[in-house]
Amino acid sequence: MTDYVRHGLRIEPTRDELSRQRFVSEIRRHILGDLAREMRSAYEERVEPAIVREKGHEPEDGVEVHRAMRGERSYRFYSAMRVNCQKLVWRSVIPTVERNLEELKRKIAGAHANGNGCGGSVTLDPDVETPPYVANHDVHMMPGCYHTEYGDDDIAAGALYDNGTSVFSMGLFGNARDDIGASIARFISLKFPELRPRRILDMGCSIGSNTLPWARTFPEAEVHAVDVAAPLLRYAHARAEVLGVPVHYRQMDASQCHFDDGEPGFDIVWSSMFLHELPPKKVHAVFREAHRLLRPGGLMLHMELPPNCRTVPYESFYFDWDSYYNQEPYYKAFRDMRPVDCCTEAGFDESKFVEFIVPSLARNGEEELQDYVSRQDITVDENTGRLVPSIRWYCFGAWK
Amino acid sequence: MSKDSPKTRLKDLTRGKQPRFFDVQGVDELVSITMGLAQELWAVKERLAAVEALGGARISSAAVETYEFSNEERAALDRERREFIDRIYFVLREGDG
Repeated sequence: MTDYVRHGLRIEPTRDELSRQRFVSEIRRHILGDLAREMRSAYEERVEPAIVREKGHEPEDGVEVHRAMRGERSYRFYSAMRVNCQKLVWRSVIPTVERNLEELKRKIAGAHANGNGCGGSVTLDPDVETPPYVANHDVHMMPGCYHTEYGDDDIAAGALYDNGTSVFSMGLFGNARDDIGASIARFISLKFPELRPRRILDMGCSIGSNTLPWARTFPEAEVHAVDVAAPLLRYAHARAEVLGVPVHYRQMDASQCHFDDGEPGFDIVWSSMFLHELPPKKVHAVFREAHRLLRPGGLMLHMELPPNCRTVPYESFYFDWDSYYNQEPYYKAFRDMRPVDCCTEAGFDESKFVEFIVPSLARNGEEELQDYVSRQDITVDENTGRLVPSIRWYCFGAWK
Repeated sequence: MSKDSPKTRLKDLTRGKQPRFFDVQGVDELVSITMGLAQELWAVKERLAAVEALGGARISSAAVETYEFSNEERAALDRERREFIDRIYFVLREGDG
């Protein structure tokens, strides 16, 4: 099986395909480790001193660093290899998905027909149009993006995303690649033990990797998840069912949710690595919708890379790289926003704003996570948001 | 392993403008090609390791396909893969002199 896709929807690569997939993971480690360090050294030893000599001050933001780095050999090779590696991520799993697709569809249809589920559901809405920020480019360079369908009841994009992110993650998202959700849900349960959510919503859930940990952490809660892409939702539902976690998936635009009953009535509204894929106007609309959907006293929480107001110029340049070269064109605009402003503009009180740094449960363990529960400072360091072995996640939000 | 062509072919190229990082035309593509070559060579090396572990001659392709590496063999391959990458790209760790 593809490494880290070990659930009931796993597909079998050939020996050569698996070798290619592991090569891609390894060379990603090389690029994000050795080559990134080389690029940083070049910056510190030559580029930054040159800026200071020329302008009389250190660079003020990531854009200035980016401009100065363009001529550096280390930057050119880091960037060219990272772009190509991202393409290889998808190309390394496409033949495996193609060869296994029909059997996978039969397996999913059979599971539904036999009523073997665990109580979750998927509700699709053909009237939901694919928004331009999904339809017009291949986010993360994934061919076909999230929405492309190759036939009736298609799940190819879901399988491609699940197996591709397995190669992409290099094991740093945990064995089930749910570390973001698992770490943050656990953190919230420890930090706010009085919180007993009855309804939880995940916005922009894709295949639900980081939805399921909320249902596991709060088993009394009814968990809903929305996304615009039908092939991801079909796959997400089947994936949740084979993993035995009941989640209700619906095809909805997160800025315009319509639930049959009980709205507004969510105790937690959550998203992970979602907002930065939206145009700024849409980001604000999603925050307003989250505010509308929360019951008073409920918590909105979004996991993202740390914002530019919390990073030094070099880190801003490093994080904003994806905005320019990984087909995530709104990333920088989102990271330029101040999280507290996003919340207050949507109707949240500034005094109810929260920010957390949460250590990876899979990488750093329960002890460090518990240690962070009592911390007040949210210093963004070289492990925050970076795909490094001791990764820590950044999240922010507000109480309603 | 089926030899039949898959019924459905997925899109395999990324839409949109391709980023360029080098001034001389073609260098970006050469970087991509060398990465592809390295990837293929690694697949061959891993397959060869399976063949060698099985004892060399008179080994069927089906046996090679399904051979499971032991934990020790896997650890050795993991180590070798890292060294393999460094052997090919070591020049990028050298300074600009």
